[in-house]
Amino acid sequence: MSQQYGSVELVGDETVRYFTMAVLLAALTAALSQISIPLPGSLPPFSLQPFGMFFAGLLLGPLWGGLALALYLLVGIAGVPVFSNGNAGLGYVLVGQGTGGFLVGFLVGAVVAGAIVHRGTTPRDLRTVSVPVQVAGLVAALAVVYAIGVPWLSAVTGLPLPRAATVMAPFVPFDLLKLGIAVAIVEGGYLAVR
Amino acid sequence: MLTYRPGATVLHRLDPRGKLLVQFGLAIAVVAHPTVPWLAGATLLGLVALAAARLSPLTVLRAYWVVFAVLAVAPFLAGVAPGPPWFRVDPALRSLRLVARVVPVLFVSAAYLHTTSVRETRAAVQRLVPGKAGQLLGVGMALVVRLFPLVLADVREVRDAIRARGGQQRPAWERARLLVVRSLERTLARSDRLGVALRARCFAWNPTLPPLAIERRDYPVLALGVALALSPLV
Repeated sequence: MSQQYGSVELVGDETVRYFTMAVLLAALTAALSQISIPLPGSLPPFSLQPFGMFFAGLLLGPLWGGLALALYLLVGIAGVPVFSNGNAGLGYVLVGQGTGGFLVGFLVGAVVAGAIVHRGTTPRDLRTVSVPVQVAGLVAALAVVYAIGVPWLSAVTGLPLPRAATVMAPFVPFDLLKLGIAVAIVEGGYLAVR
Repeated sequence: MLTYRPGATVLHRLDPRGKLLVQFGLAIAVVAHPTVPWLAGATLLGLVALAAARLSPLTVLRAYWVVFAVLAVAPFLAGVAPGPPWFRVDPALRSLRLVARVVPVLFVSAAYLHTTSVRETRAAVQRLVPGKAGQLLGVGMALVVRLFPLVLADVREVRDAIRARGGQQRPAWERARLLVVRSLERTLARSDRLGVALRARCFAWNPTLPPLAIERRDYPVLALGVALALSPLV
């Protein structure tokens, strides 16, 4: 019987730490996509999906935050029902109900937010980052999400661009509110133990 | 819900890379040519894929019914005009033609989900993305698939706990904050434990992978994917 030998190249401790955080934030993004808080009246339900992108960018920076959202998308493409309403598949991302652009936007948005907040691929301590920089990073991320999502919606559904923008406009104030909550969570010291 | 079912159909035996390529190619082709003949051909291809996967189109329509319901609204929205004649047919028809593109792509996508295990997709991703990035994506996918139900259970537990303490009385933004903070705490604690577990098991850059080979039957599929993806250039 022949035996094979090879040297084992271990993954570094820092890499393991960021990698497991990316994996868990991908799982959290998937979990939050399934949950929404119903609002009174005819308002759309308060979706928690953007928090995954916010925290991936804030906690992990552009490289690892991008990995977290990329994992979220890939797992959905592979068939795990991680998109909202338990949807899955490459077809859902590419065309779906026209909202696939927002999913891709979350990935790019996490990279943009991470790049602005951390100014490099290694995540730095959030206590050293001022609130305006954090807000600027997340606002830029939201702008990217809408800049990709709205034309995508328009292309898939055939709605003219202004009308697609009108359809999505009611969601903007809610997303800004979520942005405020995310920064408040970081600044409120809830994650200070990290 | 559409999930992987083990089987022995031709689609089950095809290489996942070819199947992914066909989905990308089909999406590119129908986006580039939103004309009736292309749509008919693409829908036929979608039905053939479903038949080859032994999957009923009705099952797919049922699984994606929310998507189709939302899409069905688009032509009406596109046709509504603010003044007389109130509804214009031309933009509505154009929108309907664009929306119809979604059907074949979702059909082929459903055939893929039905015939390809997550493990195979993971192997395909790991082979397609070179180097350490591909390895982290591959291992990461497997871990996310494993951890998603646990994290979802965590989040639901937190939500129920907030509700049990009269959380509905609080404003929505405060409930969202509480839910996200507690979920994030549990998630980060899981991350720490996973990190310890991975290092304890000698998490390495060079583990052994499942075999994946392109065989003769995969070549027509690869060719179809390439042809569809390049069709906008013709």
